[in-house]
Amino acid sequence: MNTEQLVLKNVTVNFNGFHALDGLDFSVDKGELRCLIGPNGAGKTTALDIICGKTKVTSGEVDFESKSITSLQEHQIARIGIGRKFQIPSVFQDLTVRENLQVAYSENTSVLSNLFKFGLSKDEEGLNELAEMVNLQEHLDVLAGHLSHGQTQWLEIALLVAQNPKLILMDEPTAGMTRQETHKTAELFLQLKSKHTLVVVEHDMGFVKEIGDVISVMHQGKILAEGTAQEIEQNAAVRDAYLGSGGITNA
Amino acid sequence: MSAVIDEKSKLVINETSKRYSNTKSQIIIYGIVCALIFIVPSFMDNAYLLNKFSTYLIMGMLAMALSLSWGYGGILNLGQAVSFGLGSYCMAMALKLRTVPIHTGAEGLPDFMVWNNVETLPLIWQPFHSLTLAVFLGIAVPVVFAMLVGWFMFKGRITGVYVAIITLAILVVVNLLIIDQQRITGGFNGITDLAQLEVFGFEFDAYSSSAYYLIAIFLTLSLFLALAITKSKTGKILQAVRDHEDRVRYFGYDVSHFQIFVFAVSAGISGLAGMLYTIVMEFASPTFLGVHLSLSIVIWCAVGGRQSLIGAMLGAIFVVGIQGSLSESETFLETWTLVMGFIFVMVVLFLPKGIAGAFESLAARIRQKN
Repeated sequence: MNTEQLVLKNVTVNFNGFHALDGLDFSVDKGELRCLIGPNGAGKTTALDIICGKTKVTSGEVDFESKSITSLQEHQIARIGIGRKFQIPSVFQDLTVRENLQVAYSENTSVLSNLFKFGLSKDEEGLNELAEMVNLQEHLDVLAGHLSHGQTQWLEIALLVAQNPKLILMDEPTAGMTRQETHKTAELFLQLKSKHTLVVVEHDMGFVKEIGDVISVMHQGKILAEGTAQEIEQNAAVRDAYLGSGGITNA
Repeated sequence: MSAVIDEKSKLVINETSKRYSNTKSQIIIYGIVCALIFIVPSFMDNAYLLNKFSTYLIMGMLAMALSLSWGYGGILNLGQAVSFGLGSYCMAMALKLRTVPIHTGAEGLPDFMVWNNVETLPLIWQPFHSLTLAVFLGIAVPVVFAMLVGWFMFKGRITGVYVAIITLAILVVVNLLIIDQQRITGGFNGITDLAQLEVFGFEFDAYSSSAYYLIAIFLTLSLFLALAITKSKTGKILQAVRDHEDRVRYFGYDVSHFQIFVFAVSAGISGLAGMLYTIVMEFASPTFLGVHLSLSIVIWCAVGGRQSLIGAMLGAIFVVGIQGSLSESETFLETWTLVMGFIFVMVVLFLPKGIAGAFESLAARIRQKN
């Protein structure tokens, strides 16, 4: 069962001399929920950008299900089953919640086959239930630009579920959420875990402890440590990396 | 699952936040407008006015085509007149070859070619002996040209203002080419002195209701075709591309395909409009591919509301109509351009979503009160 689904091998990303990633080795097993933490500028978001194709590697190799995706374009990477949630919630503001979900349901991506689809198709009726799951069922006709910040976060998570990728990359999904909302997100992620592989970048340690089995700590473009929450908290190197910020629990 | 959305955010959402994409009522409104267009000739027996109204409808068609690519696809095409001009020249070439011999030069050559010492009909003119082929080319040439330009732009991920600059530059280049190739295109003078369009023995006289109805039919068809596209899932994806191009890629869509598609459809409708324009104007000229016309289309779209197909269409008819009556009235003979400028400034300041947008928010407010 424990097969490595995603493997990053010695990945380096160079932004005009600044090594955002510096020989990063990172792998995630199928069905795992992996949390990625680290101080600001550690390269967490860049790591996600590399996986989903937003940024190209300077050197190194990214494999998904034993196939190289290093040189694929964004939409090709999405089609083989990788979905991404962005740090700044990115939804389609001038479309309604329902239309957002419909666009995200992207089993068929060609222009012509979508030209003859009007209204919700049979497969897409499940989208209404999806809206219920994130508590937006009353807002299906509301333009996404009018939702509150928390609701927008929820909508983007729902979009990813609609897209139904094998691997979901989440960049700070609970930013701007209330305590209760964060807790509900944790519940949702634990549900998703069985069907999808998740990589979650998060600052909120409470949330990380609630959901994560294995935590990877990044520092200066590399993996610094990997282990359970307890192991990480006792790791001396991690403590040093978070120097000045009062330790990992306050990060 | 439990409800954890805070009450405050619920209060913010009201009727104005919603969109009722009620397709049925939209089809009814579109149908009523088209029906109104069709009954105009029964109230009007002035041939000159009817001809003028025909040209208004064609401008409406052009603005509607731009609304499809700009309002829905986010592609601001400043070179919309390229497709219009290509279509109009295709029709003009076919009609020129159908003139009675006395109007043409020696051995069936168009008059301007004789003046330019051309001895045989250029190869590029040959297909236009067939009217069917000419009509096909009037749409196909702009579509293929748009696909080619679109392929270079959108595969290269060119967006926003750069698309506007490139399309404007292409317009100027095509315009210059047509003026320059006088032996084939008639240069500055264009192609004049055309035969009337005759299909199955039925003549479409530019100054009669027959030409008007022909235009009304194609306007209606293309309007509903465009409406169908915006209502399809492809239309939704296009709007998503307009809002957040990059995000769409991460759902697995090849954004460039959608952009090329809408760019080409818009060009096809413009090409059709160009052919119809040649029929009512009875000539084709480089001004049909002029910067002035091309930028006017953008203004009509903005006045009518670029995110509404029918809004853009009515915006064009409204602006061109006012322009026509102002420039012909004695009181505004000197000042009509000022009056037009004033109207545009007012619309941009107070109706950022155009006339259609103003109607929509009015409707939402009425709904909220009830």
